[in-house]
Amino acid sequence: MEGRELTFRHKLPKTKIERYWKELENNTILATRCSRCGEKYYPPQADCSVCYSDDMEWVEIRGEGTLESFTQQHVIPQGFTFVSKPYTIAIARFGEYRVMGWYEGDELPKIGEKVEAYTAKDETGISKVYFRRRTLKAEESP
Amino acid sequence: MKRVGIIGVGCSRFGVRDDVALQELAFEAVKEAVQDAGVNPADIELSVVGTVGTRNYELMPAVPINEYCGFSGRGPMRVEAACATGSAALYTAYTSISSGMADIAVAIGVEKMTEVDTATSLAVGGRSGNYLFEFHQYGTTFPGYYAMYASAHMARYGTTEKQMAMVAVKNHRNAALNPKAHFQKEISLEKALSSKYVAYPLKLFDCSPISDGAAAAILASEEKIRELGVDNPVWIDGVGYSSDTSNLTKRPDYVGLRTTVEAAAAAYKMAGIDNPVKQLDIAVVHDCFTIAEIMAYEDLRFCSKGEGGKFIENGDSDFGGRIPVNTFGGLKAKGHPLGATGVAMAYEAVKQLREEAGPLQVDLKNYRALTHNIGGTGHFGWVFILRR
Ligand SMILES: [Zn+2]
Repeated sequence: MEGRELTFRHKLPKTKIERYWKELENNTILATRCSRCGEKYYPPQADCSVCYSDDMEWVEIRGEGTLESFTQQHVIPQGFTFVSKPYTIAIARFGEYRVMGWYEGDELPKIGEKVEAYTAKDETGISKVYFRRRTLKAEESP
Repeated sequence: MKRVGIIGVGCSRFGVRDDVALQELAFEAVKEAVQDAGVNPADIELSVVGTVGTRNYELMPAVPINEYCGFSGRGPMRVEAACATGSAALYTAYTSISSGMADIAVAIGVEKMTEVDTATSLAVGGRSGNYLFEFHQYGTTFPGYYAMYASAHMARYGTTEKQMAMVAVKNHRNAALNPKAHFQKEISLEKALSSKYVAYPLKLFDCSPISDGAAAAILASEEKIRELGVDNPVWIDGVGYSSDTSNLTKRPDYVGLRTTVEAAAAAYKMAGIDNPVKQLDIAVVHDCFTIAEIMAYEDLRFCSKGEGGKFIENGDSDFGGRIPVNTFGGLKAKGHPLGATGVAMAYEAVKQLREEAGPLQVDLKNYRALTHNIGGTGHFGWVFILRR
């Protein structure tokens, strides 16, 4: 027998860090830092879990990151069947912030490699962070 | 605080159990545990039901389970801690007795995971971290989370896919002799290594199956155990618990689980253990994925950090090794029905301590066993030290 159909499609609330989602659409990745105790948050949050202050400053994540871990997802979960091939999820560290993102291309990354982050929308219109291997640009070379 | 012992255990056969409803499955384990304890169901003062309950059709399953087992009016206290839900149930039963609120309680762990398809199950499991910043954006899955630990462990310590496959081979070999196991079949190293990637670097045979199952344990205070005249109680000598962030990006590294380290430290301290390999006879550890067992060797201090790959390679966790680990087949091959797992771990440890493990029995010197249960990717962690 089959059960009665039940569909969950949650309506997502704005949350107190609406600005994070807005800025993701402008190729800006934001973290927060507590002005009182200095605790750092990525993903950002509007309240400090350590000292309970809500005096938080926005910090932009940019520059060179170091890739710390990754997986290439071959078996695709419900909700991601729009991706027709395996996708690579990675975590990279930018200074004191760690960021999750999709690593572009089909090739497996190497742990320890230098990456840069950018944002884009996927086929379903959801903004996210992407990483690509960092190549030294001419004006940056020593 | 009162001393607490386990006086009865039960466990259903794990696997695809489309022959029974959730409450019927739970009943199999509860009935065995009640008979094993030699008590009357009416003697049980409190029932604790541990079930994640997101994959079975009964979305609020505690009451139907409790009713079917005949405990209406005495529970259910329903708990959820992802893959460590069973340990949360044990812990709740334990604290209710050690505090004096109850003298005899049952911890029931149960899960039906095969009522939805694999893609749905993956999407539910992928929500075990932080939905908005992980699943919603990046399509994380449960194997994917542990795969991120595996790739980091491989890069830092040189752990290999072959070493991970050896965990699978060992646990399948053990499960072949466990009549309750989902997979009662040995596998070759070649077969494990040539299976398809689920989430690189984890392949199909690095992953525990999607299983249905139930387990139950009856706990009682020392006075109650005397009063009932139970002659083979297994005492809970130590308990440790910890938790970690939902977001992986808020953790300092991906090569070990803080919850294991902290839960073990607390449990070892309570039980007076400073050299686990010497003072324990057997360990039941959380091997939802092969890399999880390798990290557990290290985080439980069976070996130094980074030596987990060598530990399996040297046979240190096999029968006759330094400390036999997952002799019942592990979650890897016996199965990992989330709510059931933590209680089923206690079931396997109790069977060993009572020398009732048949062909899988290890030699006992200390009459002490450890169970280690992780929820999510190190989101929850429990360690219990049991002693006969
Ligand atoms: Zn603060």
